[in-house]
Amino acid sequence: MVQLSVEGCPLQVPATSSILQAMVAAGQTLVEGVGCMGQGVCGSCRVLVRRTGDSEVRTALACETLVEEGMQVAFLEYFTPAARHRYRMDELGDSWDALARIGEVFPEAEHCRHCGGCDRACPKGLDVQRGVNQAVAGEMAASAHVFDECVMCNLCTLACPEHIRPNHLGLFVRRMLASRSLRPSDLLRRLQEIERGEPAIDFDAPGARPPV
Amino acid sequence: MASGIPYDLARQRWQVGATPPKRADEVSVPDLLKGYHPDHGPRARVSLAVGVNRGDPCQPDFAAHLQANALIDDVHIAGAQLVTTDVLVIGGGGGGCAAALTAAKDGARVILATKLRLGDSNTVMAEGGIQAAVGADDSPQRHFEDTLRAGHFCGEPELVAQMAMDGPAVIRWLIELGMMFDLEDDDRPLGGKLLRKKPGGATAARILSYRDYTGLEMMRVLREAVELEPGITLWNRCPVVELLSDDHGRCAGAVVYNLEWRCFVLVRARSVIMATGGAGRLHLNQFPTSNHYGATGDGLVLAYRIGARLRELDSFQYHPTGIAYPRHLAGGLISEAARSAGATLINGEGERFVDELQPRDVVAAAILRECAEGRGIERGGQVGVFLDTPSLEKANPGILAKRLVTLRHLAKKCGHDAAQEPFLVYPTLHYQNGGVAIDRHGATGTPGLYAVGELAGGIHGRNRLMGNALLDIVSVGRRAGAAAAAQPADGGTLWGRAGIGHVHAWQRELTLAGLPLDVKAPQLFPTYAHFDLGADAGLGAGMPAHGVGGIR
Ligand SMILES: Cc1cc2nc3c(=O)[nH]c(=O)nc-3n(C[C@H](O)[C@H](O)[C@H](O)COP(=O)(O)OP(=O)(O)OC[C@H]3O[C@@H](n4cnc5c(N)ncnc54)[C@H](O)[C@@H]3O)c2cc1C
Ligand code: SF4
Ligand code: SF4
Ligand code: FES
Repeated sequence: MVQLSVEGCPLQVPATSSILQAMVAAGQTLVEGVGCMGQGVCGSCRVLVRRTGDSEVRTALACETLVEEGMQVAFLEYFTPAARHRYRMDELGDSWDALARIGEVFPEAEHCRHCGGCDRACPKGLDVQRGVNQAVAGEMAASAHVFDECVMCNLCTLACPEHIRPNHLGLFVRRMLASRSLRPSDLLRRLQEIERGEPAIDFDAPGARPPV
Repeated sequence: MASGIPYDLARQRWQVGATPPKRADEVSVPDLLKGYHPDHGPRARVSLAVGVNRGDPCQPDFAAHLQANALIDDVHIAGAQLVTTDVLVIGGGGGGCAAALTAAKDGARVILATKLRLGDSNTVMAEGGIQAAVGADDSPQRHFEDTLRAGHFCGEPELVAQMAMDGPAVIRWLIELGMMFDLEDDDRPLGGKLLRKKPGGATAARILSYRDYTGLEMMRVLREAVELEPGITLWNRCPVVELLSDDHGRCAGAVVYNLEWRCFVLVRARSVIMATGGAGRLHLNQFPTSNHYGATGDGLVLAYRIGARLRELDSFQYHPTGIAYPRHLAGGLISEAARSAGATLINGEGERFVDELQPRDVVAAAILRECAEGRGIERGGQVGVFLDTPSLEKANPGILAKRLVTLRHLAKKCGHDAAQEPFLVYPTLHYQNGGVAIDRHGATGTPGLYAVGELAGGIHGRNRLMGNALLDIVSVGRRAGAAAAAQPADGGTLWGRAGIGHVHAWQRELTLAGLPLDVKAPQLFPTYAHFDLGADAGLGAGMPAHGVGGIR
């Protein structure tokens, strides 16, 4: 058994629990700050953690973090500032305008202080700051790649003193890249065939009936 | 769970790189399923006693939820705030988002209410990919036939044909919104070819993916699009606890519980689109689950109560390879990719016991048999069999680092190196094959109510092919969104009387059938969430305080 505290409340739980399971095991109500419950993809279970003997408070995902003796945990409210970057994918013009659009939608991005706050905050260990700087420089593919495994937990957004919202910038770049450049030939061809009404479904084909 | 062979002993019997013989097996597939698959056998189903499906077979634990009383009564909503909208979408997974985006684009005012936070869903957890027949060696016809066959010909041909034909347009729609897909050659986005994988049970390579987190890529794009869409009002942390009906038996909106403010809100809507996903978190048959925290089958309970017909309620998918150990990750999914790449399953005696690439139900039943007959492996109180990733790596050096990236991450979370130590796996409750019966627009038997996604039934028959769920949710989601937005704004539907009259009729039915009124559903959260709506909302005098003001 391990003793830890969550939101100031002492809990005693089996050592093999994640922080989320610790709350469940301790009989606490758990109806927010949870989603995928262990896969680490939904980015909901954001916590601040201080471990025994560690002077720093660190960010983590509660479903992926095992409890430790003496650990202190606080959940983070989901942080959505009222003003956010607004855009519509279908109103962005063609890809020649990409750099201008990045600057318009995310004007703060070029003010990055290189403080590394976003990197420290990221529970997935992504090079967030590099991704931001690459986006500003127009290196879109490289920037998009940085955010490949981003789970949109918004911890970097919470950390950024310049209100850049790095993960949303990363997603913006990714979306632009896909919607403005991805045109696979096989998909184009099949779409054209369907438009011409070529492949119709035959409900009476032998393969559409159960074998007798 | 049954006990098994101690882990250390099993480790001694297992040799990395060895090719253990497969145990000869006399048992036929039907007998294996009958003996060990939870969908079969004598305790697999009961007959429903109330509702439109009276007399139909249903999984017993699930039947208890379907035949329960409502969470609320008239008095609880008497003073509730009333809001009106054109379209109410319930559920913030991929299906709900696709429906909401389409309805808003068609000019409807949309409210999207979801239980947790937008995107907290099964959709974000999908790994493998999405089907669409784009290859030159493939066709919508093949997709159609493969899907029907895999579903044991219980699917609705009309719906399956529509989904197969929609496939390419769905991929185009997702790309236009900004979703990426893997290409054969990543440097050729213009005019290259989509990378295709072959799902178990299909006749052509048809799975399109983004890495091995396709659902994450899809969901973060859909979520951003919904959040930035001015036509959609988003209500996070607002589970729906009951539907509203009018005098004509139409669905007229829903009762939402706002977890933040602890109050009920009545939403009147011209159309309601239900997209609340599956029921894995009900832990049917006491199984672990791969599903997200909110997958408690709420929409099915509510749709049934208001009179919509359900189908295939006794057919669920148990994925063979859930994590068995460590306990804190139990139920988590190890994708089929590991087995299709050649990873074998080994029991505590060091034997192979099944052809790993058989359909999911067969492999799952085989694992359950090993565990039931004492040949499973026990570690830290958990029982399972080995998924032999070290031998896979030895035979294909580099495969874990290059092709099975998520698997490597997963092993790290389990506290081991996938190249050195096998996983311990046990079947996990994964998917609801059936659901609310729908037509081609997602319309249910109840006017005004649409059903989309895992909650809807009729496409996958009694078994779903990998990759068809992600296609189904967007295909039907877009159609339901368009149909709902096209409902005429005749005023009458919004201003007539609406309430929970159907609940009163339901209570009479329950009483007549001798069923108790104190069993309530939908459950909203798993039991271990320690959530009690009555206590949380302060309903009734003398309610116990538990559930109010937890530390979270
Ligand atoms: C681990 C895993 C891997 C998978 N891999 C694949 C794959 O590779 N390919 C594939 O095709 N399919 C896959 N599937 C299946 C597929 O992901 C799902 O079937 C599909 O995403 C369901 O989408 P949905 O929109 O219907 O439901 P969900 O995405 O589950 O969304 C349901 C939403 O409704 C909300 N909700 C629930 N109850 C209420 C309520 N009372 N009020 C308001 N909101 C409510 C939930 O919080 C959630 O936001 C996988 C599933 C899992 C769990
Ligand atoms: S980049 Fe930001 S939002 Fe994405 S995982 Fe890292 S901290 Fe979370
Ligand atoms: S936190 Fe903001 S300012 Fe600091 S490095 Fe990251 S993006 Fe730049
Ligand atoms: S619950 Fe989804 S990331 Fe932790």
